[in-house]
Amino acid sequence: MKQDRKITSRTFVLTAVIGSLLIMAILTVNTVWISNRMSAATEEAVSAVSSFYLEAMADRRAKTITNLISNSFDQMEKAVSFIAEEKVGSQEELRDALGKVKSLLGLNRFALVDANDVVYTQYTTYTGGSRHTFLSDGQLNDRIISTVSLYGSSKQLCLAIPTPGLSVMGQRFKACFVQFDIGYIVDLLAFDDQGRTHFALYSKTGANLSGTELGPVILKQNFFEAIKGVVSEEVREENYQNFANGAEGNLSFAFDGAQETLYYVPIQGTGWEMAVLIRESVIQDQIRDISEKNLENSRNMIIVTLVSALIFAAVLLLQIRNISRAKLEVEKETSRSFRMMANTDSMTGVRNKHAYSEDEAAINRMIKAGELEKLAVLVCDVNGLKIVNDTQGHAAGDQLIKDACALICRQFTHGSVYRIGGDEFAVLLEGKGYDSMLEVLAETNREIEANISKNAVVVSIGYSFLDRKDQQLRDVFERADQMMYERKKELKAMGAASRI
Amino acid sequence: MKDHKKQIVLALLVTAALFVFSACSSAAPGGSGPSGGPEAGGEQTAPKSGNSVHSAVDFDHELDSYVPLKNHYNFYFTYKTVHPWWDAVALGMEEAQRQFLDKGIVITYEYMAPNGASAEDQTKRLLAAERGGYDVIGVDVADEQIISPLIDRMVDSGTKVMTFSSSDAAEGCKRLAYVGNTHNYQDGVDLTEALCKKLEYRGKIAILVGSIGAPCHEDRAKGARDTIAKYADMEIVATEYDMDSVDLAYDLTLQILKDHPDLDGIVCCNMSNPVGAARAILDAESDVVIVGMDHDEEALRYLNDGVIYCLGVQDCYSIGFDTIRTAVKIADGNLPGGLFPEKTNEITTVIYQEDAALMLELLYGEIA
Repeated sequence: MKQDRKITSRTFVLTAVIGSLLIMAILTVNTVWISNRMSAATEEAVSAVSSFYLEAMADRRAKTITNLISNSFDQMEKAVSFIAEEKVGSQEELRDALGKVKSLLGLNRFALVDANDVVYTQYTTYTGGSRHTFLSDGQLNDRIISTVSLYGSSKQLCLAIPTPGLSVMGQRFKACFVQFDIGYIVDLLAFDDQGRTHFALYSKTGANLSGTELGPVILKQNFFEAIKGVVSEEVREENYQNFANGAEGNLSFAFDGAQETLYYVPIQGTGWEMAVLIRESVIQDQIRDISEKNLENSRNMIIVTLVSALIFAAVLLLQIRNISRAKLEVEKETSRSFRMMANTDSMTGVRNKHAYSEDEAAINRMIKAGELEKLAVLVCDVNGLKIVNDTQGHAAGDQLIKDACALICRQFTHGSVYRIGGDEFAVLLEGKGYDSMLEVLAETNREIEANISKNAVVVSIGYSFLDRKDQQLRDVFERADQMMYERKKELKAMGAASRI
Repeated sequence: MKDHKKQIVLALLVTAALFVFSACSSAAPGGSGPSGGPEAGGEQTAPKSGNSVHSAVDFDHELDSYVPLKNHYNFYFTYKTVHPWWDAVALGMEEAQRQFLDKGIVITYEYMAPNGASAEDQTKRLLAAERGGYDVIGVDVADEQIISPLIDRMVDSGTKVMTFSSSDAAEGCKRLAYVGNTHNYQDGVDLTEALCKKLEYRGKIAILVGSIGAPCHEDRAKGARDTIAKYADMEIVATEYDMDSVDLAYDLTLQILKDHPDLDGIVCCNMSNPVGAARAILDAESDVVIVGMDHDEEALRYLNDGVIYCLGVQDCYSIGFDTIRTAVKIADGNLPGGLFPEKTNEITTVIYQEDAALMLELLYGEIA
């Protein structure tokens, strides 16, 4: 029974520990797997996001410029109508009118050109044949968008429209135009993204028009000069053709351990390409931050889960152990009850013949082993039971037995009392009971002898001590039993009832 | 510690070597000093690569502390011919106008020229301007013989007249001030000296001048002639006027090459000469050495490609800025002296092939 209990506890502990370890292993493997998957997915996402993000940014900025151009053309048309309706009679009045155009329509540098290529602005009038390239083309039939590089390397966007019907101060005007400094356009396009992206405007040959740096590799250089050696000649040529043909495209290259990705789109009508560049490390850093936070959360979750699992396992184990203990206690109690029932005489409550046999076997082992030196055996027989049974009934007989047992138990308090037959008891005495046996027996016999005259219970008692020659308890018992018969005779002689 | 010393010594040696190399590569050939006419007192220093290019044109100007008396000025300027050189001057003028406007002073002006240089056209423009009531009239003299007397008469009649950009009026003219190149003769000398040294002081030379009578062109041509005359083995075989036309300069060069197949060099005295001459020698597959004036973008590309040997670049932007600044002071009745000089000298810098790319970037950026 004890062995079974040990196996059960160990099994529970092992189950709990292995279970916990398995949970930990599964969680760890799962986390590593998720991390790897996340990392790979991040790489893919970065690439996809870069392209998507850059394309959107390039398109948005290109649209800003095309909107500026479109709005400016509209404003120029309005400006021409305004001037045509003004009653301009002198150059001063024309300058005033040009000033009004500037303030009303927001056209910063609006100018008219007469048939002799004389240019009229708010403050100056000058011969502009050599200064404005669109005038060198002769007849102006349609809207013209051109890029102008001024002495001093300032670059401007020039928008011109023909004004066939415009006549002021008696002379015909053939065109009007506005010029935007490209720096102004750059200001329109710039927004604060904490330096995460770069953009630049390029001519068809890759010349930087905006004066802005396109990342740490290309900087402000000619686009194609800058990427020489950075990408293959084939890729360079492909992008060169894209620029030349006003097509959109993208380019990716590694620099300083990070992937640079750029996207460019043509800006309609200008011959420009708008390029936007982002260092993937920027996106990666952001995603890494997010990933690290997620991983930290996962780590914390794993720890919490593990701790919870361990606590749960411990609680479970404790509960199982308690249940087991309770079950064992019940079993022990049941077993004890069964043993009690097996070894106890139901009538008198003292040990029965079965108990005597078990104890006799144990004592015999001790005798054989020489472990037992002092042992006294009393054999007691109730006198007159047969007569009482026969004359007064079995209930009186039973009472007689109980009275006899009570007498024996009361007298031999330091011994083990057994009912070994219907009217026969045995008492085994060791220790104190052994030492006081003769004295107690004398007192008991006196009481018994007194009972004869009172017609109370009479018990014949014989005794014997363990002798060195004795091989077993039975040897001692037989001597005591012999003595008991002798005593029974004595008591009969004293008037006690007896079958003898 | 030893390594540090070695590094310092090495750095010093490299710096010194670079300095020597830089000085050698940019110094005017023949040991000729920098441009700087007799009036300028030779204040220029030898051009240096890089630095000389950066200092050749000063785009960083601010108005001085002079407080104009009026809040509106109206000027009239006329120059020799419609040409990119004067467009560069115009940008300097516009910057000054903008800075005055920032101070609340409105400057309006006309800046006009004929399509071809013409003293007659200039005379008409000046007479019309005289009637226009402008605060100041500025003129880039097309022909000093014709225009100087007219200026004198206008000044005598109370009109405030100044000269500007490339050509002053004749010596003794009553114009109030001149802002521009005061050392055209020396520019001619410097360019020709560079050519002579390149040709090792022997060979046949042609001179392409600009407009007949234009003082700047004539002065440079004179400087060229005087320089050639110094060397016994050098000879001027042709002198032609392109009238500030690139096409004419091209035709004239082809004709000179045809007439003188053994030509060794061409001195170009204006902005259109070197462009026309370079186109011609390329077409003729000649190896004639060209020296010339100014900053035409095409000419700078020829310089970069080695077709042109050297160019004298004038600071047009400063000329334009100083012209407006001086005109305001003249309009207020001031005379040359403490507020402005009678001749405001603007620099010319001789640049070579190694300077061309930087100058192109500086002046034109990159578009095409």
